[in-house]
Amino acid sequence: MHDDAQGRFAASVLPHLDAAYNLARWLVRDAHDAQDVVQDALVRALRHFDGFRGGDPRPWLLAIVRNAAFAWLGARRPGEVELPDDELDAGLALGATPGDPETLAIRRAERREIDAAIAALPIAFREAVVLRELEELSYRDIARITDVPIGTVMSRLSRGRSLLADALRPHALRALT
Amino acid sequence: MNNDDDLWLDALLDDELDGAASLALQRRLAAEPALQKRLDERRALRDAVRAQATRHAAPAQLRAHLEAMLAPRVSAPASADAGATRARVPLRRAAARPWMAAFGGACVATLCTLVAVDPAALGWHRGVVAASLQAAEASEAVSAHTRALLVDHPIEVASSDQHTVRPWLSARLNFVPPVVDLAAQGYRHGAHVISVFVRPAGSDAANGSEALSVVRGFNVIERTQGGLAFCFVSDANPHELQALADLVTPLAGK
Repeated sequence: MHDDAQGRFAASVLPHLDAAYNLARWLVRDAHDAQDVVQDALVRALRHFDGFRGGDPRPWLLAIVRNAAFAWLGARRPGEVELPDDELDAGLALGATPGDPETLAIRRAERREIDAAIAALPIAFREAVVLRELEELSYRDIARITDVPIGTVMSRLSRGRSLLADALRPHALRALT
Repeated sequence: MNNDDDLWLDALLDDELDGAASLALQRRLAAEPALQKRLDERRALRDAVRAQATRHAAPAQLRAHLEAMLAPRVSAPASADAGATRARVPLRRAAARPWMAAFGGACVATLCTLVAVDPAALGWHRGVVAASLQAAEASEAVSAHTRALLVDHPIEVASSDQHTVRPWLSARLNFVPPVVDLAAQGYRHGAHVISVFVRPAGSDAANGSEALSVVRGFNVIERTQGGLAFCFVSDANPHELQALADLVTPLAGK
């Protein structure tokens, strides 16, 4: 690639390296593997930089990181990305958990407990939660990155949050007693 | 209350509802305390996750590696005359980094920095007596070595595959320096950095010649072998430096 294009690529992409690594880290759940994925993603991104038509480079880069992470997992830990449809459907179809007063005590949950709860989410819910809560992306950007309709983003995000609430509730209860 | 309610409450929290939908939900919230309570719980959860979940920052070495990968390259002179041009190619001692191992290659990479040097600036021209040339060259090599040590990200090519390193070099030089993988010899990134400079040797250079010197505290080995002149510079001890030189360019009869 010509140095000018490479320079523009570096200026567009490097400011979002933390976001790229954060997403990769949450998807593959390992620090070394995440570096592997980010490196792979940047090589892919550099190769396809011609196809980037300006605008916000962050969703564009994160989509490539996400695909690189799924490709990486697919080759090494296929069980993590082959989320059976029925499991996904079951996750979405579960009724709302009743509102407990203890839910508010989630505030007291430790960082590591929240991290563990996010890490335990099935990957489809996990990526929605990470992109929304940690990267604060819009539903439209999340839909582009994860390659699903906005309605699916809404469902997965909502279900992911409900699963988090369920996972954190026992800790909250213990913290109260 | 049902699952769809959560979905709409989340969308409201995320500021993703259009005006009409938002208004309709606000009316319901005003009329249904249970729904309002549910909204408060969802907000508390969201706030807790946002406040406490770990945002993993890119490790410094990953950032350094990618910045180096994307840094503008120094190009060798286009009209290079083999007799007059000196391309300085310090071959860093191979480095083993954890993330490199994770990339699936062998642990050790040959790390190269390439700096094209204006031959005129070095006083390089034919006819200079060999001894003073050698002294000037050793001194310049030590200066280049110390400059390289000051660079934050001196690695231009990090690879364990000589088929990656060699084409990278040959694209920038008008000769082919040897590329050796020192993994088996146990070379690792450590306290000592060794610069290896290579240039085509003059036609009058004695093949197999070697000179050792100490310049400003650095050990310098100059060696001519196979039509190439090598200069090794490091603060490593002379024996270690000699061992590396033997690996890169074994002298005939050794």
